[in-house]
Amino acid sequence: MNIQRKRFDFSALAGYVLVTPPLLIMIFLIFLPALQALVRTLWVVPPAGTGASLSLVHYTTFFDDPIARANLWFTGWITLTTVVLLFLVCFPLALYLRFSNSRIAAAVQILVLFPLFVPSIILAFALIRFLGPRGTVQTMLELIGITGYKTPYLRASGIIIGLVWDSIPFTVLVLTAGLRGVDNPLLESARDVGANSWQVFWRIVLPLIQRPLLIAFCLNVIGIFGAFTIPYLLGPAQPQMMGVFMLQTYSEYLDKLGAETQAVITFLFCAVVGALYVRTIAKQGVR
Amino acid sequence: MSHMPRRFFSGRFFSATVQREAFGVLALIGLTLFILGPISSVFLWAFAIKWRYPSLVPTEWGLKYWGETLARADILQALPLSFGLSIIVTLLSALICLPAAYAFARLNFRFRQPLLLSFLITNAFPRFGLYVSIAIVFFRLGLVGTIPGVILIQIVNTLLLMIWIPTSAFQSVDRALEEAALDVGASRLRVFWQITLPMVLPALAAALLLTFVSTFYESQGALLIGVPNVRTMPVLMYQYINNQIIVQYGAVISLILWLPSIVLLAFAQRFLRGNAVAAGFGV
Repeated sequence: MNIQRKRFDFSALAGYVLVTPPLLIMIFLIFLPALQALVRTLWVVPPAGTGASLSLVHYTTFFDDPIARANLWFTGWITLTTVVLLFLVCFPLALYLRFSNSRIAAAVQILVLFPLFVPSIILAFALIRFLGPRGTVQTMLELIGITGYKTPYLRASGIIIGLVWDSIPFTVLVLTAGLRGVDNPLLESARDVGANSWQVFWRIVLPLIQRPLLIAFCLNVIGIFGAFTIPYLLGPAQPQMMGVFMLQTYSEYLDKLGAETQAVITFLFCAVVGALYVRTIAKQGVR
Repeated sequence: MSHMPRRFFSGRFFSATVQREAFGVLALIGLTLFILGPISSVFLWAFAIKWRYPSLVPTEWGLKYWGETLARADILQALPLSFGLSIIVTLLSALICLPAAYAFARLNFRFRQPLLLSFLITNAFPRFGLYVSIAIVFFRLGLVGTIPGVILIQIVNTLLLMIWIPTSAFQSVDRALEEAALDVGASRLRVFWQITLPMVLPALAAALLLTFVSTFYESQGALLIGVPNVRTMPVLMYQYINNQIIVQYGAVISLILWLPSIVLLAFAQRFLRGNAVAAGFGV
């Protein structure tokens, strides 16, 4: 009995000691910088006098600036469009991969996972050469007599294409993992009692894969809202997505507080979705 | 899309199978064009000496630009730097995270679950905004433009992967096996080395490899913190794309950058089957 208790105490102590280093890194490199950004943008020191006070002046400056507003709106719009497109592409693919065991399905699976192994920068370079002016697509179209090709490079559509390409594997992976949890016998018995495919889909499959669906949605929204590489290399100079806007404010205008304000605004926009993500996983429980 | 599910769920009928596989063929064609199309131009450009519009393929082939690219001073500097940094970050991350993963899987302490979940926060932050706020802290600490600064910001990225994948691996080891070994008189250390470790090794290898590759390709933190003194390969690539000096340079760098990913691809089949990647996302 005595020994048991001693070992338990030791184990708990060891547990705390062992998990402390990564926790410290997280506290010092995530929580504190984020908190500091929040405090510094809210706690304003007036240029002339002394005595800092709580003020929303940095935020009103942001929302009074038509360029900043346009960039925020643009980021939200790109995020929404990309996520909708992603699900339209990935859901049928995931369903197909779940219900087919053919060789075609194996090939589809390989292609779907392939972007996982292509870094965004290579993708950006490739898309510029493929879709850009005088690129492969334009050349091909002109070979078959179609002229007037408008390149998506340096346009919103360029960003969307790049982000969809980049996010396909993750989305399909999560959705397929969710669909594998749906038993075949369950679907068959539902059909036996007369449910049609549509009912099976809405009443049985969809509720069962709610969690993976939510995880895929949340992580895609956060990833796309905070994206940098693809919009920086493929997007227009104006309007910009928030990541590009932040880099410009930070390193070209050398406006640190402005960049911090923009960062906090992206945090707040993603906080809702981020909380939903953490809650979804917390609810399913960690073993 | 609305009629799609109907086809999938009536797999009992031959016609449904045919329709399903017809979708598969369409998907295969579409994906080949969309996924492989852009990548093919990287390969073509890397082996092109001349490619004049409107030719569909290079007009002159050769390896001329490989020699030129590999002789450039900036690349000769960035390549070992990138490899070195990624190795250091991966090892440091393993040193910090693997003992914690073992603790999360095996030891009993209060707040174990919320603490484990707290690492998901790294996924719940929009990455670039976070990097900007870290950069401002680092600026005051004099870490901008230094190698330690880049190492620190890149470690942030690795935490979740390096904790969640090994944690689920340690949890899946059969405790009965270890207890049996303890019963026949093996020491705890010996049980760990000879029983626990071999069983989690594939997952640990996956975590290390994924961390190495994702660090090698990490460009945003390195761009914000490293510039102007520390230029990794991906940061260099930003310049080559934006300045567009010679297209072939970018193409050759792309293929070189790809090497670690191809190694990963070779191992991928093993751990994609084990759902290790999904565990890294908290699925």
